[in-house]
Amino acid sequence: MMQIKITNPFAKFLVRIADSEIILGQRLAEMCSNAPTLEEDIALSNLGLDCFGRGEELMKLVSALENNAFTPDDCVFRRNEREYFCIKLVEQPNNDFAWVVVRQFLHDVYVTEIFKQLATNEHQELAALSQKVLKEIEYSKMHSFDWLVRLGRGTEESKMRTQNALNVMWKYTEELFLFDEIDKTYLSDTDAIAANWNLGVNEMFAAADLERPADKKRHILDFRKGFHSEFLGLILADMQYLPRAYPDAKW
Amino acid sequence: MVSTNLNEKEIWGWMTEVPDPEIPIINLVELGVIRAVNLKGNAVEIIITPTYTGCPAKQLFVDLISEKLVEKGINDFEVISRIHPVWTTDWLSEETKAKLLKDGISPPTVHNKKIICPHCKSYNTVLASQFGSTPCQSLYKCLECLEPFNYFKCL
Ligand SMILES: [Zn+2]
Repeated sequence: MMQIKITNPFAKFLVRIADSEIILGQRLAEMCSNAPTLEEDIALSNLGLDCFGRGEELMKLVSALENNAFTPDDCVFRRNEREYFCIKLVEQPNNDFAWVVVRQFLHDVYVTEIFKQLATNEHQELAALSQKVLKEIEYSKMHSFDWLVRLGRGTEESKMRTQNALNVMWKYTEELFLFDEIDKTYLSDTDAIAANWNLGVNEMFAAADLERPADKKRHILDFRKGFHSEFLGLILADMQYLPRAYPDAKW
Repeated sequence: MVSTNLNEKEIWGWMTEVPDPEIPIINLVELGVIRAVNLKGNAVEIIITPTYTGCPAKQLFVDLISEKLVEKGINDFEVISRIHPVWTTDWLSEETKAKLLKDGISPPTVHNKKIICPHCKSYNTVLASQFGSTPCQSLYKCLECLEPFNYFKCL
């Protein structure tokens, strides 16, 4: 059994973003053929592809930083739960369409702030990738912002479900901003990320007539140390089944 | 088989014979995917760039380029993908945009404004779905001729 060890601090930083994108991509892929309308089905599948694309490009950088000791595919398909470093927010299930929208919205505003700072990184490929992601993610934001307002200002039922999704997922936003030394090495201004995120989400809560849930200190173990919600194991079991069962399978 | 006076210009020519797998009317040079062709002795190095990071055709680009080089008798080559400089729809020439339009795909416009119907050339069009058949396209509807069409999103 191959052991994937990520020791380079820059690679450790990048794999957090890569893992988050891959896991969100997998959650969105689950919506393929399950969305409420055909247009949504296509939209969510495309958004999932974007996440996989970003995740893959980041994983290539991770693998290069570790002297190609493993491939990007190995990194995705051959790590266990505790070796994953995605944010818990993206692990949350597609309970209903409002969950899909709220999760995407909170994620989009967050990663926009991350990639904004990486767009001027001295690593030329990472900077270029970040600039590209910033352009692409505008389409995702258009989609998630539009739906957030439509659901929040839609019917009583849609508002209730959206507010409920927000209330449940809110507890997973706290850890986004508990930046450690590794984050602070590669992000130029971590305080600005939290400040801009708060501004961004508050503005949309007003637009969508949703209530910002109360911020309270919780004791949730940090994703940066490989701690996850109960959902990640199930996602990985599904996502990794084929490459684990048939290690040499090729397309 | 390999001609001894192989030059980069000739290889650029071969690359124009590789169609975009999703929009075969345009080739990879016109699409701006082929960024550089370098000859290192007899070894060929092709630098490519992805269009959309989530484009499922990314690996296919490499495969199609490799096939073309092998077909031309080149066996010593490498296809390298680089993101810098960042691909943009601004790189599509007017000629390429005209080809897209002729093929029924409305070409990208600045800020996605003033979108032309490829069927009747009316600008009286509306967005039907932001996301379409490929990551690079949206679905529009013409209010004049009532036909739906694909629009190449600006990036
Ligand atoms: Zn028309």
